[in-house]
Formats: sequence, structure tokens, C-alpha cells
Amino acid sequence: MNCLQAEEHFSAHLEDTLDYQTLQGFEGHLGECEVCQQEYARFQESVKAVQELPQIEPSPYFMSTLQQRLATEQREPGSVKAIATTSWKQLLDLFRRPKWAFSGIMVLILTVAGTYFYQERPLFDQNPRPVSGTTMSQGEQITTSPETLRIELPRFVRNSRQFAPSDVLSTPTQPMQQRYMLKQVSYTNASTSGGL
Amino acid sequence: MPELDDELMERYQKGDENAFTLLVRRHQQPLVNFIARFINDRDSAEDLAQETFIRIFKAANRYKSEGAHFKTWMYHIASNLCKNELRNRGRRDRYRVDNVVNSGSDSDGDTEQIDLIASAPANPELQPEIALERKELRNAIQQAISELPEQYRLPLVLRDLQGLSYDEISEVLELRSGTTKSRINRARLMLKEKLKPFI
Ligand SMILES: [Zn+2]
Repeated sequence: MNCLQAEEHFSAHLEDTLDYQTLQGFEGHLGECEVCQQEYARFQESVKAVQELPQIEPSPYFMSTLQQRLATEQREPGSVKAIATTSWKQLLDLFRRPKWAFSGIMVLILTVAGTYFYQERPLFDQNPRPVSGTTMSQGEQITTSPETLRIELPRFVRNSRQFAPSDVLSTPTQPMQQRYMLKQVSYTNASTSGGL
Repeated sequence: MPELDDELMERYQKGDENAFTLLVRRHQQPLVNFIARFINDRDSAEDLAQETFIRIFKAANRYKSEGAHFKTWMYHIASNLCKNELRNRGRRDRYRVDNVVNSGSDSDGDTEQIDLIASAPANPELQPEIALERKELRNAIQQAISELPEQYRLPLVLRDLQGLSYDEISEVLELRSGTTKSRINRARLMLKEKLKPFI
């Protein structure tokens, strides 16, 4: 028996399940091989250490939670609730990853910064600027000139009979339009800088 | 006692709700321990253990006491749920699992608090130092186990932490007896190497 063969019998020797012939071969090898003697001693110790790991106990709420889940299952088999919980959990777990957490934070920062920028801009810049090609200038146009916005709205909004153009373009709806623009800006930036 | 489990299962099939509660009480602790040690995540262990019981509850009508044993059936369901869970997590959750093991008493407080209480030595003078040493060793062992490939980790946990026999493990994992034995020996040899700095 060589060292590799001896190693194959460590568990069987430890658990005393070797047949007579293999036992003779194993003990014969260990008797003359110091390396295997040491390795076998460490093997025994590490098995013992693993077996002595303390038992993990369930929480005191295990049974009551299970009974609740079973009751839900009985009422609605293939419970939607359980699935929904899992996907929320998975979503939360996703943002525990540094890369995703970073992307999330970037989106948040950009959204907050964007909102701040849009809200603060008129305070610093009282005079409306002329139209330019950039998104930001278009946003500015929305705040300053409803007439220009009317032209840029999609046809279905302009022709809608349920909502008169005057309703769509009335002052209270302007912030919503702004926010919509901001979201677009934020996501575009985040997806390129967040490292997907 | 597999006979009692089978009897409880039969009683439950006949409409005795209390029999199922008894089955859960008998197996909840080993099942939570098995899952927590196998997937290295105590928080999800409880959830998966409950899911195992729900599957058992749903499949109760198909359960046949002849041939199959409740315990091996339960571990078989739990193993598959764990494997699915680990597969779903994939690389995405790698960060979190590592974090649970490597962190100190902060994020894995629950598990390790229990560990400390369970194995604290009787002599109060030696208590803090030895407890800390033991805790470090336990963390190292859990880390080493979690690093084993799944096909070795699973039989090892069933054998050395759950105390199942080789025949039971073969039944749970649907493996030939020789394969089970060699995988457990291989897993222990790998652990011995991983634990070299500690043992
Ligand atoms: Zn040798």
C-alpha cells in the first residue's frame, strides 16, 4: 500500500469498517510512513472538530411562522405571497452587491441632483434662454414657455378629447412633466456610469 | 425512530393535524442546522426549512411508508431546495455568503451567540479566551465547509453534522454506496488541508 492508497482508507479506518486484509495493509503502511501517521492524526482531529460544531437552533417563532405559511398555502395553493416575498428578497439581495449598490446610489444622487438643479435653476437664471438642441434646454423651455411645449407634445395628447390641451398644459401638471424628464436623464447617466 | 415518523405520517394522511405538528417538532432543529451549515446562511435556513415542511405537507398523499423513510425523504427535499437556492443565488450572492462567515460577532451575531453559549467552558476564569479561540476555529471550519464543492459538502454535512448513516446518505442523494463513501472521505481530506493553519 502506498501513501495515496492509505489516504483512501482514512475514513474507513476511523469508522472501523475495513476488512481484515485492507486493515493489515493500512496499518502496515502507517507503521513505516511518518507522513501518513501525521496526516492521519490531523485527519482524525479535523473530523472531530467538524463533528463538534454546535447545533444551530431554530427561532422560537419557527412553528408559528410555519403554521401561518401552511394556512396561507391551504387558502391559496401556490401562494403568491411567498413568491412575492422571495422576489423582494432577491431584489434587496441584489443591491447588497457593491456594484449594484453603487449603481443604485448613482441613480439616487443623479435624481436628487437633477431635481435640485431643475427646481433651483429659475432662481439663479431669471431670463429664459433661447431654444437649443440639448435636453436640459428643452426642460427649461417646459418651465418657462407652455406654448413651445404644446408644439412638442405627441399627437395623441394634443388630439385627446378626454383631456383638453389646456388641462394637460395647465400649471399643476408642469412639475410632472419635469419629473418625467428628470427620470430619463438620471437613468441614461446611471446606466453608462454604473457598470452593468 | 423512523417507525414513529412513518406512523405520524400515516396518521396525518388520515387527517390527524396534530401528527404533522409532532413531525415538525421532532425534525425542525436538525433540519435548520443542516440547511444553515450546508448553505452557510442562518437567515435563509429557517425559511428553507419551513419550505421543506410545506413540500412534505403538500406531498403527504403521495408519501408511502413502505420503502422510503421520512428522514431521508425530508433531507432529500431539503437538499434539492438548498441546491436550487444556491443555483439561484449564483455569483450574485457570493458577496453576502462570504460576508456572513468572515464577519465578527456583528452580522452573524445570532449564530455565533448561540455557538458561544452552547460550548462555553465551565471554568469562568478561562471562559473569554477559550470561547474566543473556539469561536475562531468554528468560523474557520464553517468557512472551510462552505468552500467545498457542493457534491462533497452535502454528504459531509449529512454525515459529520447530521450523523446520518452511509446508507441513509446514499438514499438521500440517490448515490451508490461506494460513491457516498469515497465522497465523504474526499471531503474530509479536503477539509483537513483547508484547516491546516488551525489543526
Ligand atoms: Zn504514507
